[in-house]
Amino acid sequence: MSPTERPSGQSAASGDPADIDLSEGLSEEDERLLVELGTVLELVHPVPEGMAARIQFALELDDLEFEVAQWQRDDSLVGVRGSAAPDTITFTVGDLTVMVSVAPGINGNRFDGWLVPGGPHTVEVRVHGHEPTTTSADEGGRFALAEVPRGITQIVVHLAGGDSQRTRTVVTPTIVL
Amino acid sequence: MSNGQTITEDAPWWELTGYPRHAACLIAARSGDRAALHALVVDLNPLVWKVARGQGLDPTIAEDVVQTVWMTLLRKLDSVAEPQALASWLITTTRREASRNKNVAERVEPLDDDASEQLLSAYGLPEEEALRTDRNRAIWRAFNRLPRRCQDLLRMTVLAGRAEYDHVAKEMRMPRGSIGPTRGRCISTLRGYLNNEGGTS
Repeated sequence: MSPTERPSGQSAASGDPADIDLSEGLSEEDERLLVELGTVLELVHPVPEGMAARIQFALELDDLEFEVAQWQRDDSLVGVRGSAAPDTITFTVGDLTVMVSVAPGINGNRFDGWLVPGGPHTVEVRVHGHEPTTTSADEGGRFALAEVPRGITQIVVHLAGGDSQRTRTVVTPTIVL
Repeated sequence: MSNGQTITEDAPWWELTGYPRHAACLIAARSGDRAALHALVVDLNPLVWKVARGQGLDPTIAEDVVQTVWMTLLRKLDSVAEPQALASWLITTTRREASRNKNVAERVEPLDDDASEQLLSAYGLPEEEALRTDRNRAIWRAFNRLPRRCQDLLRMTVLAGRAEYDHVAKEMRMPRGSIGPTRGRCISTLRGYLNNEGGTS
């Protein structure tokens, strides 16, 4: 493939007000201060390592009809993405709560989970670089997965629809487990 | 297939920079180009992240918020009305999502000068540990004394690069013509604080 199909003359939206540079009206001194400010902002709020990869993996969903659940954290879980993985994670969206306890094993993590309200929902665990692991919850909403690979992880729950109801899909942000 | 976008129709997204690139990536992502979506994350996530942190969220909550914003974009690829205003859309969505997730560290409006000066000299700012030089600490302190509006405007100026006036104006709910002068005043105020501090610390 040739990435140079049309050697267009770099037309910068001629005549459009978009041409105006935001540096307009700034003295050199102002510019320098802004550069310094940029450095400071980068130092105080550095982008966490690996974050782009976590987001990119979270975006590799085929079905675009989903709701995003929020991880519920208490203080003991702060730093989940840093070093130690949490024992139990909980996420919620609307009336749905999902609790998962994660226990490290030899070939991965064991997941024991509980969905409220219960029902035969499908639980899919996506881990970067691996095939997804899928199981079904029982009527009470409990589910277990014996060996989930470690890595960037996202949980996807396909809620069993009552009757002819449109099924709902709930996804979590990714974390490293 | 013609995409009907005035700025982007000539070149593929990987040859573009800035806003035209974001617009072209968004359009490509709509037709399933995953690399284009990934490129958007690489380009714009630093901005999204700093907006989230700027709302006073701790890093863990901020990452949830930021991921939620990107997943929301994925869901709404087709309905982001103006591809060229993507940075602006991301900022707005991040703020909205952040305010739904405000944790204990509820962000307060900047205090008046005297009070904030006393507090600062007594406690410093939590993020100051990351700053090694007096100059950078002074800049950070001065920045935090600015009104929120100034902080937001300067953050966008610094992070969105050659941000385009109309989008900045829309985001800040300012008449387009007043962005430049307002920002000029914000920088002057910042410099004023810096000069004052220079004498005392």
